Amino acid sequence: MHGAAQARKYRLQGAGLDLALPYLMLAPGLTIVLGVLVYPLWDGLRASTKAYRYGSPVGDIGLQNYVRLWSDVQFLNSLWVTVKFVALSVSFEAVLGFALALFCLREFQGIRLLRTVLIIPMVVTPVVVAIVFRLIYASDAGMLTALSQAMGGGAVQILGNPVNAFVGLVVLDVWEWTPLMFLILLAGLQSLPHEPFEAARVDGAGAWRVFADLTFPMMRPVLAVAIVLRTIDAFGTFDQVFVLTRGGPGEATRLISIYGYDTAFKFQQTGYAAALFVTIGLVVLALAFSAIRLLRRVDAS
Amino acid sequence: MSSVLYKNVVKNFGALNVLRSLDLAVPDHKFLALLGPSGCGKTTALRVLAGLDMPTSGKVFIGERDVTRLQPRDRDIAMVFQSYALYPQMTVAENIGYPLWIRGTPEAGRKAKIGEVAAILEIGHLLDRRPRQLSGGQRQRVALARAIVRDPAAFLMDEPLSNLDARLRLTMRGEIKRLCQRLSATTIYVTHDQVEALTMADLVAVMHGGELQQMAPPIDIYDRPANRFVATFVGNPPMNILPAAPGEQGVMVGRNIVPLEQTRLAACRQAGIVEIGLRPEDCGVAQPGEPGALPGEIYVVEPMGNETLVNVCLEGGNVSVRAGRDFRGAVGESIGVAFDPANACFFNAAGLTAVHRVNSNGRDK
Ligand SMILES: Nc1ncnc2c1ncn2[C@@H]1O[C@H](COP(=O)(O)OP(=O)(O)OP(=O)(O)O)[C@@H](O)[C@H]1O
Ligand SMILES: [Mg+2]
Repeated sequence: MHGAAQARKYRLQGAGLDLALPYLMLAPGLTIVLGVLVYPLWDGLRASTKAYRYGSPVGDIGLQNYVRLWSDVQFLNSLWVTVKFVALSVSFEAVLGFALALFCLREFQGIRLLRTVLIIPMVVTPVVVAIVFRLIYASDAGMLTALSQAMGGGAVQILGNPVNAFVGLVVLDVWEWTPLMFLILLAGLQSLPHEPFEAARVDGAGAWRVFADLTFPMMRPVLAVAIVLRTIDAFGTFDQVFVLTRGGPGEATRLISIYGYDTAFKFQQTGYAAALFVTIGLVVLALAFSAIRLLRRVDAS
Repeated sequence: MSSVLYKNVVKNFGALNVLRSLDLAVPDHKFLALLGPSGCGKTTALRVLAGLDMPTSGKVFIGERDVTRLQPRDRDIAMVFQSYALYPQMTVAENIGYPLWIRGTPEAGRKAKIGEVAAILEIGHLLDRRPRQLSGGQRQRVALARAIVRDPAAFLMDEPLSNLDARLRLTMRGEIKRLCQRLSATTIYVTHDQVEALTMADLVAVMHGGELQQMAPPIDIYDRPANRFVATFVGNPPMNILPAAPGEQGVMVGRNIVPLEQTRLAACRQAGIVEIGLRPEDCGVAQPGEPGALPGEIYVVEPMGNETLVNVCLEGGNVSVRAGRDFRGAVGESIGVAFDPANACFFNAAGLTAVHRVNSNGRDK
């Protein structure tokens, strides 16, 4: 029948369009993602296998850039500084954030305001944070020095002293990113069921045992996710250090990101810098994967 | 084990008055069912006793001890929550053993005790599982096991069976009753299910709107309800209530006379009764126009298998009648409702029972 055939044809056309439509609608976004994300990545990978002179590629050298990294004392030192920085900052942020989240879980007058105030550092632009901390740390006219002089002391050396500068950087990071930990952990705490906690109180547990036996074990997955997130992010810390110390004094605060930046833009060794960042990327990726696997095992057992 | 006492306990949540001066005494070793409709304050009453909520005023005693200001852990009680409240990241064995572990019971003693209660509740094969790997009924048993693993002053249970399916509820009802009798434990059992309350408890306390309506043994709750609320809340189908007024030779229900003996009639007259209450099983179907029977017509017939519920439209309202399993009748058919006036009770204008039924246990008001 003519009518039936016509109807089937329309139906088929309709089905074809239905199938294609999602892809059509995804296409613009996908193109942008490919262009902005994948192409630079690919270009970076290619660059990491080339030798550069005065910022221009002068030939393929295979994996030599990668090999060279492991005998580069400056690289190894910056790696060590970064690991110290990440480990210290993230630990403090986790402990502080957890404590604050536990505290803010209770209901009392002004709690909403307190919660809001506590997340402000997170939303301030990192560069601005760094500038503010410069104003605090500066040995000539900084707030710390002013404070010390007001109490009869001398100038406070923060950014000029290797140990102090490093600690100062950690303090800055903790100040800025504890709120993120706090926020994630508070959300986690708020989503825990109420009854087991009441049951534990009736069963005879005091505040500490409730924390150790219930809160902490129940929060472990959330805590792990927060730590992994923060760790990955902390490995890429750049702007604060760049503004605060540029990696100095000496190499005391020279994180990988700063060293990579110097290699690429100061020393114009684009290929070597690319290899450095690819390596770090892989390290962070491996770290994240193993953390997530660990998490799964903890969760399943 | 100890007795439990609420003394003038008031609990407000902001402007909301949830408990209004609750007075309740549970004797040692007794199983008390706290019965009432949803939202009447049962859970609140239990939480006040557990120490999870502070009363706005009034006192709570466990044994001779005033525990009103004590922390839950210092009250020596065990509680089964409505949602079980198992510890999700602990195994069943760890859950059950937690109250012992907290008290520093050595490992060996703990293990023995866990094994013992697990055997009683038949969950010995589940000890290594985690709560999320259990069915509702199994979780419920674990919650019970965690409560009975110690020998507390009192057990508090908040609708522990409400999440189970009908069959399992039936079995667990019997099991909990047996368990509590065996432990001879002071138990406060919250429920909104009257069957649970009547079948399990030594004493039933009926609550409504934050107030205690009546506390009595189940049979008295059923046969001698203190007021209209208790009368209609307990019993399924509920007690029939019809407007009534004292007359010359008896109580007038509409234009019909319900003959009463002189003493009861006098009591009715004195109390100024306004309603008569009749349990469906105390009514029977009769021929229309039979003397003493109230005339009406069939509203609906519900065969239940073992009996037939007949809803009859009378002058003053509808009543349910329990008829035999082979009752047959058509909607709209004329019918009579017969009953022994001795089984009727009467309510005054305030809704209190002024005159009770006569025959049960031979007692009268
Ligand atoms: N934390 C609270 N804040 C405010 N109101 C509450 C709170 N807890 C209970 N209420 C109110 O108190 C009343 C009694 O609550 P409760 O939980 O004691 O009822 P219940 O008798 O246990 O009911 P159900 O049978 O439904 O469990 C309800 O109206 C409830 O809305
Ligand atoms: Mg409740």
